Amino acid sequence: MNEVSRDIVQFLKSRGFLDGKNSLNEHESLTETGVIDSIGLLQLIDYLESRYKIEIPMEIITPENFDTLSGISQSVTNLKK
Amino acid sequence: MATDTVICKNCALDSKTPGITINANTGLCQFCEHFTPLSREKKEEYRAQMDTLFASPPKHRGTYDVIMALSGGVDSSYALYRLKEEYPHLRILAVQFDNGFISDTAFENAQKFCELTKSTYFRLVLDNNLLRDTFKKASRSMDAFPGFAKYRASDMCNTCMSIIKQKIVEMAIQTKTPFIVFAFSPGQTEIPFVTLTKPFMVWIRKLFDGQLKTMGVNERNLYLMDEDIISSTPPETEIMIIHPFLVWGYDKQQFKKECIRLGWTEPDLHDPNSSNCLLNAYAIKNHYDKYHIHSYAYDLSALIRQGNLKREEALKTLHTGFSDEAIREVQRKLNPE
Ligand SMILES: [Zn+2]
Repeated sequence: MNEVSRDIVQFLKSRGFLDGKNSLNEHESLTETGVIDSIGLLQLIDYLESRYKIEIPMEIITPENFDTLSGISQSVTNLKK
Repeated sequence: MATDTVICKNCALDSKTPGITINANTGLCQFCEHFTPLSREKKEEYRAQMDTLFASPPKHRGTYDVIMALSGGVDSSYALYRLKEEYPHLRILAVQFDNGFISDTAFENAQKFCELTKSTYFRLVLDNNLLRDTFKKASRSMDAFPGFAKYRASDMCNTCMSIIKQKIVEMAIQTKTPFIVFAFSPGQTEIPFVTLTKPFMVWIRKLFDGQLKTMGVNERNLYLMDEDIISSTPPETEIMIIHPFLVWGYDKQQFKKECIRLGWTEPDLHDPNSSNCLLNAYAIKNHYDKYHIHSYAYDLSALIRQGNLKREEALKTLHTGFSDEAIREVQRKLNPE
């Protein structure tokens, strides 16, 4: 798990999103496993934008890019460049 | 056991709420420990952004600049008034969702404030029997909403608010309205501006569809954005949701005073929490019975943290018992003989 994924897990844990769960599979859908819904997703985006001082364009917020730890961390890594 | 309950020194969350831990050394809950107040620069930036957006809404699009969700309660009535005061040129369509449990007074208040602000009033009505059945299913479901959503609001209120959002976004697409305003308190949301793109609209539709399915709701299209309307909208379509209380600040007592001065009347719902929806007390109790979470605790605690509410006032609200009368009335409506 890379740094971004670890940060996301830490954020989700601290905000009570993980509901007692301790780990997350990198490729599991965060919405289908009931970790976040659309509002949770927006909170996560808000966190990532301030944590990494990036702007995440809304057009990349799709299930393909933003529904798994690996997808999100890849998107964030690309934006950090 | 009750004697072991520890309340966070700073807010109103306590150790008997599942998922809340109070640090024995600091006496603070995990949310207070991680809290950073909004800087003044950030507040000014939000203010400037909202002024810019509302100063010149995209022209020649449709009949309205803003669609606003109006419950007829203090927050949304005040927000409508203030919006029009600050940006008098805005053409506003105010939508009141009739979920079957709205008080007559709330209907009157909503229409009164529309007249006052020269806004167009629209009452969104859906099939009442289906709605009742859906609320009943929401009250019985345990796993439709993610863990954190259970702090945000009760399952019944989350369901109702999701329906409003879906239908208002649909209306905004249809009427080519660029902005949607929700009068959420800074305890209910932390994000002042949300841009909805077409793919994101499709996604949030799918997510709510899944939640309704989990509850066992069969007639779901009624509550979701219309698929044809979304698919026929151009790919570059964008709608912005704005939460103005994150820009203006939030003082419920002052808003209420101002609303009363303007002719707003207080409904008598025997419910200290909501001034407009009869379902509220039942929904809070149902949520508490299911999860041992008071659905207002997180919201009010966030307001305390931000300096928008006194801790004693929040604790008083949270410890005021549920009105049996209001609860029995909802029970009767949800389960008719
Ligand atoms: Zn706290």
